[in-house]
Amino acid sequence: MNPEKLCFLKKSSLTIGIFLFFLIWLCFPSSKQSLLDIHQPYNYIGKNGMVVAAHPLAANAGLEMLKKGGNAVDAAVTTAFTLNAAEPFASGIGGGGFMVIYIAKERKVTTVNFREKAPSRASPNMFIENGKINEEWRKTHGLSVAVPGVLAGLDYALKKYGTKKLSETMAKAIEISEKGFQVSKTFSAINKDEYEKLLLNAGESSCYLNQSFPYEPGDIFRNPELARTLKLISRKGITVFYKGEIAHKIVKAVKSKGGILTLEDLAQYKPVEQAPIKGTYKDYTIFTIGPPASGGFHVIQLLNILENWPVKEWGLNSTAYIHHFSEALRFVFADRSHYLGDPDFISIPIINLLSKEYASHIAGQIDPARPLDFYPYSEFHEQENAKENTTHLCVIDKQGNIVSLTQSINHFFGSGIVPEETGFLLNNHMDDFSRNADSPNAPGPKHRPVSSMGPLIMFKGDMPFLALGSPGGTRIFSSLAQIIVNIIDFALSLDEAIESPRFFSYSSQGKARSIFVESRIPQSSVKDLEIIGHTIQVRQAYDRYFGGAQGIMIIPYTRIIHGGADSRRDGCGIGY
Amino acid sequence: MKKIILSIFILHFFIVSALLGQEKKDEVINIFEQPILITSAGQSAEVQIASVLAKRAGLSAALSKAAFANELKGIRTLVIVLGVSLKGLGAAGLDISQETNRVQILVDDAQRKNIPILCLHLGGETRRGQLTDDLINTFLPFSKMAIVVESGNKDGLFTSICKENHIPLIVVERAVDALQPLKKAFK
Repeated sequence: MNPEKLCFLKKSSLTIGIFLFFLIWLCFPSSKQSLLDIHQPYNYIGKNGMVVAAHPLAANAGLEMLKKGGNAVDAAVTTAFTLNAAEPFASGIGGGGFMVIYIAKERKVTTVNFREKAPSRASPNMFIENGKINEEWRKTHGLSVAVPGVLAGLDYALKKYGTKKLSETMAKAIEISEKGFQVSKTFSAINKDEYEKLLLNAGESSCYLNQSFPYEPGDIFRNPELARTLKLISRKGITVFYKGEIAHKIVKAVKSKGGILTLEDLAQYKPVEQAPIKGTYKDYTIFTIGPPASGGFHVIQLLNILENWPVKEWGLNSTAYIHHFSEALRFVFADRSHYLGDPDFISIPIINLLSKEYASHIAGQIDPARPLDFYPYSEFHEQENAKENTTHLCVIDKQGNIVSLTQSINHFFGSGIVPEETGFLLNNHMDDFSRNADSPNAPGPKHRPVSSMGPLIMFKGDMPFLALGSPGGTRIFSSLAQIIVNIIDFALSLDEAIESPRFFSYSSQGKARSIFVESRIPQSSVKDLEIIGHTIQVRQAYDRYFGGAQGIMIIPYTRIIHGGADSRRDGCGIGY
Repeated sequence: MKKIILSIFILHFFIVSALLGQEKKDEVINIFEQPILITSAGQSAEVQIASVLAKRAGLSAALSKAAFANELKGIRTLVIVLGVSLKGLGAAGLDISQETNRVQILVDDAQRKNIPILCLHLGGETRRGQLTDDLINTFLPFSKMAIVVESGNKDGLFTSICKENHIPLIVVERAVDALQPLKKAFK
């Protein structure tokens, strides 16, 4: 055949081939999705630095800061502000949080507590109406709003441990708020779920709704009011938020919804730098933030209990593993409700609760064959006077400094209340106080509610090994402990450990509650757990209910850094 | 060669247009009467979207997220918004079997009283899944018409059920686009 004819035939076949491909692609849209599986475990790799966060724009903003010469704290603060713009339903300057910082040069770990505080008029019975708890008051009313701490906390960390100005760390968030970005499926789904609250409190004309309706995937979300607010703070500093015109707008918005937050409450807010609490699991040491944060604290408790059992032999997500882990969780919840509160106001037996002896005692009470009938809290005769719905990000810089930061406005879209023309959402963290007026975690003036957040940094010997954290309410510590066991005992890579199917259980007033499992947990385990007496509730394959963990792992004896980001949300990592 | 390519693209255009436009041809005018009762099947927040759409359409509508049969008194159309939200079910204090029973009783009563049913699925792709699909399969066949957001019908589930049961199906790109067909559907 002559070459021209051959060439023509080849071109024709190619054209027809391309045409058929597009035709099939259009006719079977599901094939578009199968080309890209977001749940496939993927470890982001870097040598000089890494940022992982719940949104690609935020991770990218953090990495740009690192490349500009900022350290891990500069990049973490930049990422945190950018999350306010890119993932506004989960965190922002209307909320609070915690961070764990490792300063490589000094080999020092410290923590910053910027948890919200209750207004000074808060009281144990503030949510009682006609003898009953009013759930709306706890969640979508002005009374649900606590004094925000994010801005004060980030500013504190930046001034003490960062190298950049506040305005530099806010620049990307301002740019993204102005230019906007495409709404993801996650954003759209959460926006739809919270539509009623947004209609009620933010109003139909709010930027959090698209012409009165929830955003659809692919829509452009812009928040010019947030951009103006951040610009104002960039120019005038955080005083404008706590004592100036923004403070007035916050108080006005909260009062108009029936709340009790005052200008004095805002003016008096201060973040706290506190020593970390420490625990061990096998050859690893865990540093995390202590109460009122409880996530890391309970991770240590859980891992202490798990150390008593042959977890590796049982196997990942085996019946024995899920049974024992769930039983341990139920004991942890019993202690949580009895002991945890704001350590500024109550005494918590931290040393006893985190001791290996206590963990061994709990492990000894667990029946390998069936769930218990009752899960009591433990009594400590000599108490040590140890007064010592969220997003997570991790950063490591070239010098080896690390930040593990969790921040939140509590439920998705917080209280739904947006102070006039500010573009940011106020938290509903007053809902984290106990419903029981006699609880150590009952609402009280200037008390910080117990939080399940638990940013942590793990070390092997003297070397940092893993930075980890997650949103997910009371599922946080269960999910974090499972990820750590996945890595240490089951030898999974970081992102495999994060994407692995999860489960959760708890106890309430000493009684067992269901085990909630992702549908990917083996059917055989589910059936066997039911046979031995557990009630199982199966949730989606990758369910946001179990959190959205982000982590950074430093591969021992190498300079390689792995980043793992959870596909249950829009997690993303970028290294360089 | 140019002619071949041109012909292929023209053919391509017609096939694709035909495929994409297939479900959008149905137009149903003035088949429902007011007042209407809007309820959820699955307690997703889309029931609230339906309520805002009805308000915008100027319809006389009552919203009752977990309506019972006694609320059908004086109602001329029952609107069921399909979509399961575990969070929504939890907030309403219902589990999926209780919710299914509630809606089944409501549908049975509506049938007895000759109250036509309009089914909506406004949550798109993210509001599909086994639990929602079970409700779609159970309740969609009882409807006199359905309006669904396109991304929720990617696998053709609504198309096949509607075709099988001779139910006019309106497919819209976004929830807000349901406004016009909703307006036209009512007298």
